[in-house]
Amino acid sequence: MARCARRATRSRPAPNRVLATTLDPGGFALDERHPKAAYAPATDAEFAARLRACDANGEAVVLFGGGTLQGLGFAPERYDVALSCARLDAVIEYEHRDLTIAVQAGCTLAALERRLAAHGQFVPLDAPRIATATAGGTLAAGWLGPRRAAYGRPRDFVIGTTVALADGTLAKSGGMVVKNSTGYDVTKLYLGSLGTLGAILRVNFKTLPIPAARRLAIARLPEATRTRAAEHVAALAVEPTAALIVRGFADEVDGRDGVDGRMLLLFEGSERLVERATRELRSALGSAGVPETQLIDAGASAAFARIVDAYVSSRGRRSATYRSAGVPSDAPLRLEAFARVARVNELELESIEDARTGDVIARLSTASEDDFAERLIAFDGERRTVLSEARVIAAPATARARLDVWGAPPASLPTMRALKTRFDPNRTLAPGRFIGGI
Amino acid sequence: METSSAERLRERLSAVLGAQGILSSREDLGSYAFDAFCEDRLPDAVALPRDAREVAAIVRIARDCGAPIVARGAGTGLCGGAVPTAGGVVISFSRMNRLLALDAPNRRVRVQPGYVNLELSRTVASHGLFFGPDPSSQKTSTLGGNTATNAGGPHALSYGSMSAHVLALEYVDGVGEIQRADVDDAGYDITGALVGSEGTLGIVTAIDLRLLRLPRDIRVCVAAFPDVESASETVSAVIGAGISATALEIMDRTIVGAVEAHFHAGYPLDAGAVLLLEIAGEQEDVDYAEGAIAKLAREFGALSWRSAATARERDALWASRKGAAGALGRIAPNYYIQDATVPRTRLPQAVHRVNEIARDHGLTVGNVFHAGDGNLHPLLLFDRREARQVAAVSSAGHDILAACIALGGTISGEHGIGYEKRETLPYVFTPEDLATMQRLRDVFDPARHFNPDKIFPSGAVCGEVRAPRDAVAAGA
Repeated sequence: MARCARRATRSRPAPNRVLATTLDPGGFALDERHPKAAYAPATDAEFAARLRACDANGEAVVLFGGGTLQGLGFAPERYDVALSCARLDAVIEYEHRDLTIAVQAGCTLAALERRLAAHGQFVPLDAPRIATATAGGTLAAGWLGPRRAAYGRPRDFVIGTTVALADGTLAKSGGMVVKNSTGYDVTKLYLGSLGTLGAILRVNFKTLPIPAARRLAIARLPEATRTRAAEHVAALAVEPTAALIVRGFADEVDGRDGVDGRMLLLFEGSERLVERATRELRSALGSAGVPETQLIDAGASAAFARIVDAYVSSRGRRSATYRSAGVPSDAPLRLEAFARVARVNELELESIEDARTGDVIARLSTASEDDFAERLIAFDGERRTVLSEARVIAAPATARARLDVWGAPPASLPTMRALKTRFDPNRTLAPGRFIGGI
Repeated sequence: METSSAERLRERLSAVLGAQGILSSREDLGSYAFDAFCEDRLPDAVALPRDAREVAAIVRIARDCGAPIVARGAGTGLCGGAVPTAGGVVISFSRMNRLLALDAPNRRVRVQPGYVNLELSRTVASHGLFFGPDPSSQKTSTLGGNTATNAGGPHALSYGSMSAHVLALEYVDGVGEIQRADVDDAGYDITGALVGSEGTLGIVTAIDLRLLRLPRDIRVCVAAFPDVESASETVSAVIGAGISATALEIMDRTIVGAVEAHFHAGYPLDAGAVLLLEIAGEQEDVDYAEGAIAKLAREFGALSWRSAATARERDALWASRKGAAGALGRIAPNYYIQDATVPRTRLPQAVHRVNEIARDHGLTVGNVFHAGDGNLHPLLLFDRREARQVAAVSSAGHDILAACIALGGTISGEHGIGYEKRETLPYVFTPEDLATMQRLRDVFDPARHFNPDKIFPSGAVCGEVRAPRDAVAAGA
């Protein structure tokens, strides 16, 4: 039994990194709106107390993790106070033999990744900019990455949370076990709520063992090979954990486009399995008329991270990026719809088409900043009929206010409004930022 | 309900559903008075809707009549979740049991809530697909019931419980409106919040599910151990070493004896415990994992190792495991099953405590559990005609839950809270945690028509159970 002794650990920020509780609000502007004050509470209780005070004073609060995905959603209607999780960045508990870890919301994904990697584990969040992105912020933003078809969504790895509600209530759900059917899974509501229902302060994850081998295969697609190549890849015995068809993103993503773009496939598993997958892939692509496949082994993880970063990377103030979700089989049609409307509005289109999840990432840009906003707004108006569900995931602040950033609201919008009213009746948390102006 | 109110309820339901759509005779109602938990109460009516529109009508009528509404799948739940404890209408989905749409290329399917779990994997197998969650009751339990309890089963270890597989839901809310939620919708994840809510937030009328590609190689092995503790140590070591298995199940000598007498699958009868494990994937990885697990098993004292040679042998081993609870009827008239979950490193301690508690209460315990998930299922054997045994079982059950909470675990891994464990919920959650959950309920069913008396502690007891919570933590 002695070998099962729990080894809980608690890491504290180094003294020279300790932030003041009161921060300069200048660093927390959002869409050209500036808060009057910014705080970085040092404990859950302090965070909850600060929130309660704001709620009582009628001050609107925007929650901050690393700020990497603050480009999502509408600008807040009111914005008085920024509350940062920067001082809540500890690993609370890591029992690596349980494959579970609990972190504070402000723990960066890079810190989480490093800590887990020391024991050969990971959580497949596939979020961009991990050096600054935090666990809480990434989950609040509802980030979805390319490997979710293989491993599951980020939400499937969250086994518990502690949240501060607007009135200062500290509430937990779930726990530190990997299988749990005890009470409502309220956690699901906070994930993807963009900080409009409560402040995630603690996240418990289950983890996975890192596969022994990871290989990124990159293939230029010659003219008229895309469809066959995609079909052959879909029929592979060993499925890639990510299968992306990229067009453009030359500065961000490895490989170079053929006429039909390029294919990037991530294979993960034992070394023997990855070897076999490579042989089968080369044969499959060869028979689809794709002659060359470049392989990246040692740098596969870094190259994959560059792909994920590209999802929200911008070309200054002359680009905007949409994400369209749907089933894989209609992804080519949705991409074609983007291309059509982009052409009409003389916008350049770069895309990442995800053959496994069905996501289409579309980055639209112009050569100069001058007429970009105007064309983008025209594009956004026209796409509402053909790509009504697509959402904006990155756009310049100047244009965002005039875009339909959430896409058409689902039929469940009235229920969502009722949830907001019940969890945050004073609309303290990021008012107006969420879908339907919630 | 009063006789006249119940009569009016039945008349109104009958007017909408027709004579075939409602059961009201005492004999018929008796069949819907209980589930697999030992509590029963006659409903005032059983409604048998054919579609979502009829479900919505039932909800509106029941609301008007002030009648509680209890959704029921196959009644295999172990916590009294489908027992109409306050009377009212039971909605049975026996006529909403179809597969509505299969989209094999995109690995999605839409089913009605009465569709049986096992039927789904059988139906989609010809497309090279299967459905992940496989509760032991899967031959009869329905996907609606599975959704309500966030069911898992042995393969939840690898594939996750229902919440990882439900992609969209159509449901009827507390005011009788048909609603739809999809995990890919922008906005709050209503789908995720509804899964596992045990019929208290809405009545699900259609479910979109994720399907998985069938693995090319599936290997099922059985390792025999001198005792449950050494088998549990092996499982903790396998998990800790990051070796991928799709199922890691343990049965102790009591259970193995019962299942062998019933199924004759070839489990070793002389072992203190057996570990049933499954590894699935491509052959290279399966070979590797089997070798690695067998090595660990030997290190922890395994007495033997056997790999099923044929698909038939494999199926027989699984059929025995999934039929374990039923097979116990050979050795005791009644059993009481627990569903606690502990962190996986705590498994050996948890099993040790379970056996101690059973012994202290003079009870025989059979342990059959999803070891890979830390999900314990001790079965306490008793005869419900003996009052002393019933009391001992109740006391032991409480002590087991307390022990598991003290080890960092929780009180339900896959069955839910239902009626049975609602007074135990405050051992796990603070009043603030529970009040936050109630906010969710306020939105979906403010009048509490859906499945009253379930999940949450009754008001009177709520304050009283605060004291044991501290005592539990201190005493273990």
